[in-house]
Amino acid sequence: MPASSTDGFLAALSNDLAAAADTVGRSVVAIHARRRIPASGVVWQPGVVVAAHHTIQRDGDITLTLHDGATASATLAGRDPSTDLAVLRLADGTGGPPPAAQAAEAPRVGQVVLALGRPGPAVTASLGIVSAVGGEWRTWQGGTIDRFVRLDLAVYDGFSGGALVDAAGRVVGVNSSGLARAAALTVPASTVSRVVGQLLAHGHVARGWLGVATQPVRLPPALQRSLGAGQEGGLVVVNVEPDSPADRGGVLIGDILVALDDHAVSDPGDVLAALGGERIGQPIVLKVARGGRAQQLTVTVGARPRARG
Amino acid sequence: MPAAEALLSGVPALEAALGEVAARLGAVTVQVHAGGRSAGAGVVWLRSGLVVTNAHVAAGPAVEVVLPDGRAVRAMVTARDPRRDLAALSVAASELPAALRADARGLRPGELVIAVGHPLGVAYAAALGVVHRAPTGAAGPAGWLHADIRLAPGNSGGPLADSAGRVVGINAMIVGGLGIAVPTHVIERFLHEAEGGGRGGARAA
Repeated sequence: MPASSTDGFLAALSNDLAAAADTVGRSVVAIHARRRIPASGVVWQPGVVVAAHHTIQRDGDITLTLHDGATASATLAGRDPSTDLAVLRLADGTGGPPPAAQAAEAPRVGQVVLALGRPGPAVTASLGIVSAVGGEWRTWQGGTIDRFVRLDLAVYDGFSGGALVDAAGRVVGVNSSGLARAAALTVPASTVSRVVGQLLAHGHVARGWLGVATQPVRLPPALQRSLGAGQEGGLVVVNVEPDSPADRGGVLIGDILVALDDHAVSDPGDVLAALGGERIGQPIVLKVARGGRAQQLTVTVGARPRARG
Repeated sequence: MPAAEALLSGVPALEAALGEVAARLGAVTVQVHAGGRSAGAGVVWLRSGLVVTNAHVAAGPAVEVVLPDGRAVRAMVTARDPRRDLAALSVAASELPAALRADARGLRPGELVIAVGHPLGVAYAAALGVVHRAPTGAAGPAGWLHADIRLAPGNSGGPLADSAGRVVGINAMIVGGLGIAVPTHVIERFLHEAEGGGRGGARAA
């Protein structure tokens, strides 16, 4: 059969992909911290492994399988459920596998990418493209992700915590199936680095906290008129944690929260967005409707209690 | 015109190369009809008329094979191994173009693979994917070639090939969205055993 002039092209592309998988695959580990199959993790700094929070189902007795088949034990340095990330430290202080190189540029729609995982002894791959890229977004648990990156590729069992890799063998992000239903998402490398820094320093990602549970409601027309500014919805307070910042600030069940620091709120996400870690200890002005009249309460933002268990 | 083809790069080069590999695979891929069920696929292994397919595709002692040129011929099932999901067919035709083959044990994760088959009745459809996990040497499907590729019923028995168009396995099942292929070295062992156990049948022409 005559050799074809295009053979070389496909072989070169195939080689590039396999080389990228091999290079980054050395930094992809298997994490044994749950029943069923192991999950994946990526060596992010020397001796530091990033994992998907939802795959780390116990806080101790965590072991890793490295690229060369060696087993290492690891300790949990911290977890951030809001971005579904957890950080492990290799226990014996030895360097372990080398950290993966990170892509400096933002992912682009149409970019060819590989997802790598190690849900067992061998590294495994899937191929696809970046299907959508958006701006900063907030997870349903209030975590801030620098960029929305949706993937058109198959994320197989045990791939959460694995690496998204570009054709040059650089890590674009850490994949997670725990952030959105029905779509594979990647947490961009910049967000991972930020969360890793916070978890290594504090063991958790600090977030502001008021201590209220709310539910969106449509404001009665009379209240809409008295508030002005065309605001149609607010958040009815359905619970106030005893001795929380909101409790101390005089918030009552049944109050309708309509603004925080003069910014209208009509969705629980609006409240999360106003409560970054930098607000802890600072006053925030709550505009609430109580008994049909608007009034203002000043609350000192607290630190969200850390998740137990 | 090699000079013109050498100018191709980027997406046009990818498309040309994929088209060429798909055509080359199509030339060694047959349709296998066993009774009223939808067709599976098979790979021409030897010019003399030896075709390899899945045991679950070649139900019964004889099947009808449609060659790439459209000829329908009868084929005897000369060997069958449900455990490895393999069957050898002897087609009453010779001088058939046979598949180029490569050992799947040398594959690396991320390498491109191309499948040709008849998914859901669409004859000679191609699919592109990558090696998910190379064969591990473990017994049975768990140790076979796992590919991140979109397959469907009708791909069964058809070729999975590397970027050079060399057959590295035949697609046998879909598990958890992954294509699982019987690797070439397992097929060679099966053919070797079939020949040793039943010479006359395996060599019928």
